[in-house]
Amino acid sequence: MTDLLPLAVAVPLLAALLVTALPRQAALLGVLGAAATTLAAGAVLTAVWLNGALTADLGGWGVPLGISMRANGFAAALLAMTALVALATSVYATGYFADSPKAVHFWPLWLLLWASLNALLLAADLFNLFVTLELLGLCAAALGALTGSADAVKANLRYLLVGLLGSTTYLMGVALLYSAYGALDIALLAEHIAAGGDENNAVDAAALTLMTVGLALKAALFPLHFWLPPAHANAPAPVSAALSALVVKGAVYIIVILWLELFASVATASAAMVLGLLGAAGVVWGSWRALRAARLKLMAAYSTVAQIGYLFMFLPLIAATPPGPARDNLFAALVLMALSHGFAKAGFFLAAGLVQQQAGHDRIDDLGGTAQQMPATTFTIGLCGSALIGLPPSGSFIGKWLMMQGAIEAGQWWWIVVLLIGTLLAAAYTFRVLSRAFGLEPTPLRFVTDARSEIPALMLALTAVGVLGLAAGPLWTLLGLGAGGAA
Amino acid sequence: MSRDWSLLLGMLLALLACVLLWVLHGALMDQPGPRLADLAAANVPYSGVSNPVTSVLLNFRAYDTLLELAVVLAALLGIWALGPAVPGFQPSGPVLASMVSWIVPLLILAGGYMLWVGGHAPGGAFQAGALLGAAGVILRLGGDPRAGLPDETMQRWLAVAGTAVFTLVGLALAAAGEGFLTYPTDWAKWLILLIETAATIAIGVTLAAAYVGGRP
Repeated sequence: MTDLLPLAVAVPLLAALLVTALPRQAALLGVLGAAATTLAAGAVLTAVWLNGALTADLGGWGVPLGISMRANGFAAALLAMTALVALATSVYATGYFADSPKAVHFWPLWLLLWASLNALLLAADLFNLFVTLELLGLCAAALGALTGSADAVKANLRYLLVGLLGSTTYLMGVALLYSAYGALDIALLAEHIAAGGDENNAVDAAALTLMTVGLALKAALFPLHFWLPPAHANAPAPVSAALSALVVKGAVYIIVILWLELFASVATASAAMVLGLLGAAGVVWGSWRALRAARLKLMAAYSTVAQIGYLFMFLPLIAATPPGPARDNLFAALVLMALSHGFAKAGFFLAAGLVQQQAGHDRIDDLGGTAQQMPATTFTIGLCGSALIGLPPSGSFIGKWLMMQGAIEAGQWWWIVVLLIGTLLAAAYTFRVLSRAFGLEPTPLRFVTDARSEIPALMLALTAVGVLGLAAGPLWTLLGLGAGGAA
Repeated sequence: MSRDWSLLLGMLLALLACVLLWVLHGALMDQPGPRLADLAAANVPYSGVSNPVTSVLLNFRAYDTLLELAVVLAALLGIWALGPAVPGFQPSGPVLASMVSWIVPLLILAGGYMLWVGGHAPGGAFQAGALLGAAGVILRLGGDPRAGLPDETMQRWLAVAGTAVFTLVGLALAAAGEGFLTYPTDWAKWLILLIETAATIAIGVTLAAAYVGGRP
């Protein structure tokens, strides 16, 4: 049973090696590898659902000498989201790169990226997390530069350097913790830190700060988001989808683990407030810039800055809420927001890529005719937009609702103001795009024009709006089963 | 950036460095001692090799090393993705060419030695692979535009060989009921040697191909 965890990393890794060695069959092998990886992720999800959290001791040495992997409800939920988004993106990529020589380069890096994401989500060891961050950052930057344009290469070189700075800063924090406690396993360290009391306060605080700052750089938390819009907007559409929906979430996932699990005993409410305020600033600034963006993909990239901000706003609320059902709801809402954004933003970028291919550009003001020729794609953009706004029945509606409830109960009314401003701005930028779809141009009778590319995007949009909104209940069970100390 | 800003930034960074040094000092003073080193040293006899560094890299924390090999591969794939290689250098003079024909066999021999010696003394796949890579760099400097590498298909297979053998050994052990990357003590030495041999070749090919810089 525990072999499932390494399998979820080994399958995409082997698939990446195979498509590297056999470039002529890259697309076929890539899709097969994507399907196999999705099955492996599904098996992990099922096992966590049935049995609760899983752990695996690699090498049989046990902690602290060896490395272990683990999957709790939080990790399993993100793993499943990653699998579905990446599977849809893979199918889409077969169409997007159909006649392009870039396909040979896309598939190996793409499957390596997926392997590193799975490894990150299943890691239970701080140094192992660093290794997965390195692999993730390198693959992400290389994929982002795949278009080969000067803008893309420049933006992604900056992304690579920023990512290196972020992971090195994180590594300094890990080194401090290892010096103080002589362990790297997260659960073991959490015990040491909780038992240490005031003795090692300076070390704990310094390590938490270093690791959080390093990861916030990778997670594009305001004001460290400067690298994200150009990098995400200039990447090929399937890559943008993965960067915005998945890669950024990897860093957020580690920050949440640090604040709610590893440093739960030392992370104070006032420190969490700082992160929350930065998140709130990101919501307002990102949404505003999204509204002002001239290009569709740039708009989606700024919207990511805003959506990441919401996730950070949960941290002070969770810190201010005593353990109990209210706190569990806030944690589940955080996960639900992360999942909805993952599906919605991936669907949005995929649809934006189709619009860009059809029109030859993605200037929002000139998209009138194009939007009408592609009803399914426009519908996808509308659905994803509604999930970004947080309209019912999307998953983010429930997330935002629970956040408001939590803010009222915690007496921190100011988050509601930010939430309202962000929602209003999101509605404005979504409708700004959709308004282009209601011109006088003739509309084709066919709803779907290119099934291979349009259906995956539409599926992601429907998942964000329908599945997560109407069937969010099981998420509580999943997290309640396996979230352990985090919930 | 103006000079004043650079000065201010430098002072702030120096301040940060002082704070970190003070914290690190505190961390080291609180619990002086070898941390995991004692535990690792006690387990070296069961790891299949007698060099403690190799037993950490290839046994205790083999999973990290597997992912690090994937990082090396990702770097090469990124370089390949950026376009074709720049044209080669002009042919070298007779002195350099004859020196190359002396040095390259020595480097390959030294690489093989490094690989074997890693079991009981400093050495191992990364060092051996670096020597092989250096042989490629010297061949390239000596005028061979392909740095002594085989054709593209073969290069691709060799570049993935390290990660592939590592992963397949891990999965085979899991299938045999031992657990992923859990070597039985009797077999540990030979499995580690197998992985390290594949990793040496892969690292050597990857470094040389990265130096050529661009799709073969």
